[in-house]
Amino acid sequence: MILRLLGAFFVIVVCSNRVPAQDCNISIEGYVIDEGTGLPLSHANVVIQELSFGASTDDRGVFLFEKLCEGEYHLILSHIGCAPQKMHLDLIQDTVLYAVFRHTPVSLDDVVVMGKKNNLSTQSNLSVNRQVIEDNANQNISKLLENETGVHLIKNGSGIAKPVVHGMYGNRLIILNNGIAQSGQQWGNDHSPEIDPFAADKITVLKGANALAYSGGNLGSLILVEPKKIEREPHLHGQVGYSYETNGRGNSLNARIGKYSPILAWKLSGTLKKSGDKRSPDYYLNNTGIEEANLSLQLEKSWNDKIFVDFYASTFNTTLGVLRGSHIGNVNDLEQALVNDEPLFTEPDFSYSIDEPRQEVSHNLIKLKTKYFFDDNQYLDFVVASQINDRKEFDVRKLGRSVIPSLSLKQYTTNIELKYAKEFGDQWRFTVGSQNILTDNTNVPETNILPLIPDYISYKSGLYTTLSKQWSSFSISGGLRYDFEGQDVATISRGVVKEIIRYDNRFHNFGSVFGLKYSMTNTQTLAFNSGYAMRNPGINELYSNGLHQGVSGIEEGDPDLQTEKAIKNTLEYTWIPSSRFSVNSLIYHQYFQNYIYLKPQNEIRTTIRGAFPVFKYEQTNANIYGLDLSTQFMLTNSIFSTLKYSYLRGDDLGNDLPLVFMPPNSLSGSLVFRANRSIKVSSEINLDEFEFEINNRYVFAQNNLLLGQDFVAPPPAYNLIGMKLSSNIILSNYKFRCFAKVDNLLNVRYRDYLNRQRYFADELGVNLTFGMNVKF
Amino acid sequence: MFKNALLLLFVAASLVMTSCEKEDPVIPNEEEVITTLNYTLTAVGDAGIVTFSFQDLDGDGAGAPTITGGDLVANTTYTGVLELLNETESPAEDITEEIEEEDDEHQFFFQSDIDGLSVAYNDEDEDGNPVGLSTTLTTADAGSGSLTIILRHEPLKSAANVSDGDITNADGETDIEVTFAVEVK
Repeated sequence: MILRLLGAFFVIVVCSNRVPAQDCNISIEGYVIDEGTGLPLSHANVVIQELSFGASTDDRGVFLFEKLCEGEYHLILSHIGCAPQKMHLDLIQDTVLYAVFRHTPVSLDDVVVMGKKNNLSTQSNLSVNRQVIEDNANQNISKLLENETGVHLIKNGSGIAKPVVHGMYGNRLIILNNGIAQSGQQWGNDHSPEIDPFAADKITVLKGANALAYSGGNLGSLILVEPKKIEREPHLHGQVGYSYETNGRGNSLNARIGKYSPILAWKLSGTLKKSGDKRSPDYYLNNTGIEEANLSLQLEKSWNDKIFVDFYASTFNTTLGVLRGSHIGNVNDLEQALVNDEPLFTEPDFSYSIDEPRQEVSHNLIKLKTKYFFDDNQYLDFVVASQINDRKEFDVRKLGRSVIPSLSLKQYTTNIELKYAKEFGDQWRFTVGSQNILTDNTNVPETNILPLIPDYISYKSGLYTTLSKQWSSFSISGGLRYDFEGQDVATISRGVVKEIIRYDNRFHNFGSVFGLKYSMTNTQTLAFNSGYAMRNPGINELYSNGLHQGVSGIEEGDPDLQTEKAIKNTLEYTWIPSSRFSVNSLIYHQYFQNYIYLKPQNEIRTTIRGAFPVFKYEQTNANIYGLDLSTQFMLTNSIFSTLKYSYLRGDDLGNDLPLVFMPPNSLSGSLVFRANRSIKVSSEINLDEFEFEINNRYVFAQNNLLLGQDFVAPPPAYNLIGMKLSSNIILSNYKFRCFAKVDNLLNVRYRDYLNRQRYFADELGVNLTFGMNVKF
Repeated sequence: MFKNALLLLFVAASLVMTSCEKEDPVIPNEEEVITTLNYTLTAVGDAGIVTFSFQDLDGDGAGAPTITGGDLVANTTYTGVLELLNETESPAEDITEEIEEEDDEHQFFFQSDIDGLSVAYNDEDEDGNPVGLSTTLTTADAGSGSLTIILRHEPLKSAANVSDGDITNADGETDIEVTFAVEVK
């Protein structure tokens, strides 16, 4: 049964069995335990929402409510340093409740449930919870992860961003949306993941080496975007949130509604966003507006506690403006842009209009998952999913042709996945699974431009198995994986006479992982992970061909590229001496054979548009290694502080050069005041979970780069200060959440090395965001 | 259940396996491509006609362009006419007409390192600003060097000195930039 609870709800076990009680004389007794230390958790707050009535746990972690009437209640459990948790309780008799609080002071967020028990996983992970998602509902999914250690962003201006984990991005980093590998044009550094974060309840970054159970091409790290299972909450509940940001005059509206019933549980979530030109400290970044409309539907149904079916459908639609001044002619224009104070085509006025260059992208996902329990210890998962990704990019063209996209790609993907899991013996766990992914990628012939990447069909079929075992202070896991990928590609040759050249590729990839986790003492844990993975070259690396106007270069693939092989080792050390102080450190090293990268060539190609540098996909051996460090300490019962540091270095061993486009190091810290109990403003108004935060983020200059590896030296280091104020406001019977935050408080002028528009424009200046969220 | 699921999986897998041939893509008709620039100079007097030409039929491809410069006569005035072609199509498409239609959004600039060689505009758009499809080229003393012709899309024609042919403040996006070897004899 425990297996079945996994992922279902959270960690609350409700036991109810005592003397049958009379009306209005029922008690709830609760024990709260800190999972990190295993000790009782004092000063945890428990509120019965319906009664606006609360209690705190004592030194033994115990709380007690007495003289309650029979009925349905919602309990909200919270503790400083933890996300509040809400549960529904149908109170008919005296009840004892055990709550294990994921009070991992390392991260403010609850930790992802990876196995039957959280600590079964030997892999390092961190996650962003629902509260963070709601308070940043105006941001894109990548931006939410920016503050986590080991995570960076590749940006293309202000609105387009994709995550980088331990230096891996694009083809090397899989994003799982709802368990399904997000498909689309991930190869493009100017393509954001097409996922609405508001539809998710948790976004997790797995940083280890053993994300083996997920489809091929991934070299260790992984991003999981997950909705929670629909809570067993028989009433109609929902929420509406709105936020406004001053920079770009952005509006964002989210709504979510859901209801559980044994017949069918459902949840519907929608998002609308619109923002206009963003502003750097000195000028408007013209044509950087965003429009977005998303909808998702989640349905769940179960039969006899044996068969669980969930259905998920989502649609994501966006129009993204790209800074006009970043669309340039030739290398002389680029040189001009590098010396200009402000980007070309900068205009003095704000506008919501999105002109060319712009991207119009839609992504649709539909998924059906069936989970069948043979018995309490073994189950079978069967997943069928389909995705349609439609991307159109519009450039400035002559004679009214701007309305015709310059790039128009349609991609259909179908996933069929099967997984069997079994627990046996004494804490042994075994899984075996298969994944089959068919991708059909087509250039819609409307552009009148030779496509940058060719039409293709790819078929991936993977088989994996994992085995893990847990002892009292020791756990061990291992696994093997095999993937076949077939690519049927139809390219169009360059040159004067255009003809179709076909390629039929077959790749065989192997992977293996091994992990160990050892709880040395009650307060110290050591985890080691090692993984070997192979990734065959992607279509863009093999066959892309053409002019990339954003960087003013000609990019050429190489059809003879070999499969890339990588070994990654991670060592994680966690020390939680008390609930007041914790340290987490992760050291990683990844060695690559045949690392594929885009290398500038010693060739300047003359075309009628002028001269362009040529970039070609080449291979080398490489080392990428680094350190993620995070610590949290409580100064008083209501003030705590965090400090995070990420170090990363990449070396091209074949050419004895630094690797290009690696994230710079960063150091960030925050100081948070969180009120332990609600603050009474007047007899009518109470402030609950009042929180004030000051944060600081320092990004070092990328010094591991030689002159001549880029058009211009990497931008200097920068420091950003931010503030955030948030609270639940309780107005007699109504409760709503309000927040206000300032980013780049000092309006600092800066550029970031991983922003492809660093050649052209400064990053955003000061931005003030206000938001409100009502739950019902 | 288990057996059924497996069966379904294999049926589905074999289905996708057999339908794995990608159909032929449509080779796009690249109507916007400019392959060729001809700058025809006709001497006022009897010094004859000289044509500078730049031809690159494979566009961004690896094939090098054919660039033909020429000799000019010292102390002579020429009338210059620019012609832009897309020779990937047959018959070749005249792109000059597109520039004429959008002449307020385009301007040619002429730069030379030869002393005394100057180019003046002979045409204007509907706002009275120069375009550069029709020009007057004047040579002075003998010398050798180069002539660079640049076409800017969406330049700031009203910016300082731009209408006199100075590109410094023109901004905009470069559509064409070609350089010819020139000898003034």
